[in-house]
Amino acid sequence: MKGVTRRQFLRSSSVGLGVGLAGGLAGCAASLKGDFAPKSGRRVIVIGGGWGGATAARYVRLADPSIEVILIEPNKEFVSCPFSNLVLSGLRTIESLTQPYDGLRRRGVKFIQESVTAIEPDTKRVRVGEGYLVYDRLVVSPGIDFQWEQIEGLPAVKDTVLHAWKAGPQTVELARQIQAMPDGGNFVLTVPPVAYRCPPGPYERICQVAWYLKTNKPKSKVIVLDANQNIVSKTALFRAAWQAYPNIDYRASNKVTGIDTSTREVRTDFDKVKYDVLNLIPPQRAGAIAVQADLVGADKRWCEVDHVTYESVKQKGIHVVGDATIGLPVPKSGNVANNMGKAAALSIVSLLNGQTVPIMPPGNTCYSWVSDREAIAVVNAYKIENGKVVQIEQKLTPAQSASVAQRAEGWRQSIWADMLS
Amino acid sequence: MTTTRIGISLAIAALALAAAPGAAEAAGPLDDPAFAKVITCGACHGVNGNSKSDMQPIIAGLDAAYFKRQIENYATGKRPSPEMEPYAKQVQFLGVEWIAGYFAAQRREPTPLRPQPDAVARGRSVAAQCVICHGENGRGDATRLIPALAGQPPGYLAQQMVLFKADTRDPGDPLLSAKKALMRTIPDGQFPDLAAYYSSLR
Repeated sequence: MKGVTRRQFLRSSSVGLGVGLAGGLAGCAASLKGDFAPKSGRRVIVIGGGWGGATAARYVRLADPSIEVILIEPNKEFVSCPFSNLVLSGLRTIESLTQPYDGLRRRGVKFIQESVTAIEPDTKRVRVGEGYLVYDRLVVSPGIDFQWEQIEGLPAVKDTVLHAWKAGPQTVELARQIQAMPDGGNFVLTVPPVAYRCPPGPYERICQVAWYLKTNKPKSKVIVLDANQNIVSKTALFRAAWQAYPNIDYRASNKVTGIDTSTREVRTDFDKVKYDVLNLIPPQRAGAIAVQADLVGADKRWCEVDHVTYESVKQKGIHVVGDATIGLPVPKSGNVANNMGKAAALSIVSLLNGQTVPIMPPGNTCYSWVSDREAIAVVNAYKIENGKVVQIEQKLTPAQSASVAQRAEGWRQSIWADMLS
Repeated sequence: MTTTRIGISLAIAALALAAAPGAAEAAGPLDDPAFAKVITCGACHGVNGNSKSDMQPIIAGLDAAYFKRQIENYATGKRPSPEMEPYAKQVQFLGVEWIAGYFAAQRREPTPLRPQPDAVARGRSVAAQCVICHGENGRGDATRLIPALAGQPPGYLAQQMVLFKADTRDPGDPLLSAKKALMRTIPDGQFPDLAAYYSSLR
């Protein structure tokens, strides 16, 4: 499939590549040499095919099909983080959250299944394998990476300790471990300090695992070690939902400082906690490529951007969207990334066409499932004042309900189409 | 190169000059300001307002006056919705005239969801009372701000019936009192059938 992907790209990119070179490309980044797809017209490259990047690629093509768009993403298919907590409770399969990039290909987006190794802003080049591609404007949607070094003992074991904070194989493995855990075993989940991807995500996960254990392993407990002083998002609604789960042992201000996989223990400043199944969600920063390209601030964590165009404040011509950004009063959510992708795309189309960049404030609709059939939501709307994003209003659902869950399902369907169709 | 092609090249060169800094705004793909104003809506309401999901209504082809009334009612909380209250205020910030006009001009695509034929048949028999306002084919009556129901997703329609019956949507609105009185005569169990029927209309 990977080889087919690359061949499709080469065929549709209508650039003169030597037959021998094209034939030798399948599945091997090392064979990408030199400028392997010379630019003929105006070109936007998008790094990362998640919520922000896929949307950006789609909207550049929607707004101006004369602009060439190349999307570079290491994974063959899109896997949705939203709804992936339902895989842990067995209510969804990972397959049901997996979508191909075919819709974007049909829109003329050229998809390269690779990892970008470097960005060179001065020459407007993106390095892939031993070769490079030239861009007019670049969108970087790098997502998050983990700060392993923040927890003693973690750098040695890294992702053999499950975070399941990027939906995919880790999600499936964590679900398997929870199912295999004996009744009476302890599931330990650790919440990193803000800022991290998806503020309500850990608390939705707690609901889902607690629901599963209550239903299937009534002697088991969910022990939560939260680095924060309280539930970070939808606080009162989660507190209300947890009334149904006496198996939750929630410990605020319990930051994990160390791990020992041989004794199956995590350490906080106060004590040691034994686990049968561990879900350690480490502290986070922008995806590695953002650090390499010097898009991050002095703290080496997040990327500051213009609130209208999402152009990096550090590198001209590079727009950063999604969870990697900082400085806007918005959560690191899929819906926000989707909105940032659109605004960055239309900004780029405007700039490449000599038009004025329109004002496009983001919005956030965020659902959390608190049981097998009920959900809650928070919605944030924003405006732009003096070039800065300002919140107009935040609204929460009054209570959990099946009706909110039905709307969550509708939102999932609609927003996937808004990114990938 | 033919003469025509040279002509086109010259025209392009002229355009390029016109786009130079300080010159008048170039014509381009974002000429319609409304296009950039509606991008947030698509995450729930679908491409150009043609929702494909069960609970989010289709807003493509919606009468502009009805659209504006709903935005007003959402923003004031008269039509309570935790989702739409903040977004209605954002629509007002961006310019409700632009956005209402944009969606009114979009071609409506009926929901792809196909309700069960027996539910449609049952709903048809209940719908006799609805025809007076919503019309024979569920097309509504824009002059009286009565929306078209035909082809809307069934989940959305059924939920609105529940809200009207409970008087939580636009409570106390005198224009809706007859409608709500009618909804109170219909058992909740018949709402999905009625919704299936109107959803099936084209």
